[in-house]
Amino acid sequence: MPLTDALFGAFAIPFMGRALLVMLVLAVVAGFVGVLVNLRGLEFISDGLTHAVFPGLAIGLAVGGSAGLLPGAAIAALAGALALTWLDRAGITSDAAIAIVLTATFSVGVIVVSRSDDYAGELEALLFGRVLTIPPDEVLPLIVVSITALLMVLVTLKQQLYRAFDAKGSRAAGDSALVLDLVLNSAIALVVVAAASTIGTLLVLALLIVPGAVARLTTARLWWLFPAAAGFAAIAAWLGLALGFAVSVGAGVDVPAGSTVVAVFVVGYAIVLLVSSTIRWSRTRINGSRDRAEHRDPVVAGDGR
Amino acid sequence: MDDSPVLRLRGAAFTHPGGTGVSGLDLDIARGEAVALIGPNGAGKSTLLKGILGLVPRTAGTIEFGSQRPGAGGSPTLASHAPNGMVGFLPQSADLDPDFPISVEQVVMQGRYRGLGLLRWPGRADRAAVREALETVGLAELAKRPFGELSGGQRQRGLLARALASDPGLLLLDEPFNGLDQPNRDALVGTVRALKTRGVAVLVSTHDLDLARRVCDSVVLVNRTQLASGPVDDVLTLSNVQECFEGVEVEIDEHTLVVPGHEGH
Repeated sequence: MPLTDALFGAFAIPFMGRALLVMLVLAVVAGFVGVLVNLRGLEFISDGLTHAVFPGLAIGLAVGGSAGLLPGAAIAALAGALALTWLDRAGITSDAAIAIVLTATFSVGVIVVSRSDDYAGELEALLFGRVLTIPPDEVLPLIVVSITALLMVLVTLKQQLYRAFDAKGSRAAGDSALVLDLVLNSAIALVVVAAASTIGTLLVLALLIVPGAVARLTTARLWWLFPAAAGFAAIAAWLGLALGFAVSVGAGVDVPAGSTVVAVFVVGYAIVLLVSSTIRWSRTRINGSRDRAEHRDPVVAGDGR
Repeated sequence: MDDSPVLRLRGAAFTHPGGTGVSGLDLDIARGEAVALIGPNGAGKSTLLKGILGLVPRTAGTIEFGSQRPGAGGSPTLASHAPNGMVGFLPQSADLDPDFPISVEQVVMQGRYRGLGLLRWPGRADRAAVREALETVGLAELAKRPFGELSGGQRQRGLLARALASDPGLLLLDEPFNGLDQPNRDALVGTVRALKTRGVAVLVSTHDLDLARRVCDSVVLVNRTQLASGPVDDVLTLSNVQECFEGVEVEIDEHTLVVPGHEGH
């Protein structure tokens, strides 16, 4: 299959076009929110939220079929955001506490799903997503959920960054730590909700964490972090979908699209890490040899004697 | 012009949820006045400053900012919220990540956020205020540098600039001289003097009589309760300071309060 077909032509097919639209919006929003996850060090709490959403998806599916997925996930995610914000404020932020909450909620989800007739199929769809089979009438709700998460973060962005940099200073300036944490955790939860319906609850964490980590490697300028993370996420999502299509249709090897997207995210991170490490290493070498040259004994121009 | 004090406490007490606190506070700070807050470790100096900020609940008495009184005292959950942007605060130590990707001027701009609220973004006036604050503390040359690259003293001055950028009527400084070298101490003293001439009221907790004598108009001695207050020379007597430091042997040399066995934090 020609490269241009995979990169551009494939997305003329309606289901691929829908997948690209949803993934681009989701990736940009997740990249943006992910910068704050990175700056606040909320990676493990985000993992807790991804698991907390699972029973909501399962119950939503059991009660309302696929139309019940989004509302079920939204309720579970917001409840999870409340619970994790409360745990954090109560000083119960140990890894053990979060691990207990996330495994408990996950097991509830598995029990609910196990009651259905198509246990294996539904479990797989919830865990690993169904980005290529998003029904047309679910596209708009997914975009609305993603944009809502973005707006929540945008409106509080100055204050979120202040809190990320200096939590005590932010409180002294009159910002409410509870409100800011609740808003950020809810925004993360909404990204998880949108992502759970597309690339699955297990893979969503890559969307939240990898772009922020890539941005930190590529720039030390605060306001460049956001376009860097969003840009990386959008390009990786596009390439991931194209690669999945090329391998599945061109090579005849059936690979799940969500997993391909996440694989491209991780490979992208590895490449950026390698390049940035090489640049840092060569800068250190150049600076080191310059320092040595500056400290070398001056050569005295002799008169031949 | 409003002649009422910038800050007035009457019989105020601030108490942490755990029960420790400071009480019996009667204090007036006028525009352009600097007041030193002196007491041993654990005397409640930081609690008092945080109480003024509304971070520690006021459990008795009254507090007034200018002519505004944020509620009467008595309720154990009553905070003392100052009017928007009126109080600037320089904490004793800020637990800041040196790798956080933020420049000096971006840190100082945070001082403007409270006035901007949620939806407005910094404009020309805010950038001018940031420049002025950086010039006041002598860091204008380093505005674009990553904050984490500054020395400890420069960081402290950067955080002071952030407090100044909010254009406060009252500035609270919590042990600002801790760990500063002489050039940074001199810069800080100069800054406090400049603020006073601009009409800013300053309340500074310190162990350092150098600061109290060079820039403060009056002193408040506290040790869980207010023990004495008034002009520097009247209050900083050996007997007053010995009482405040609870019988610990106290020497007062020309500049520094030396309390053997006391770490000076």
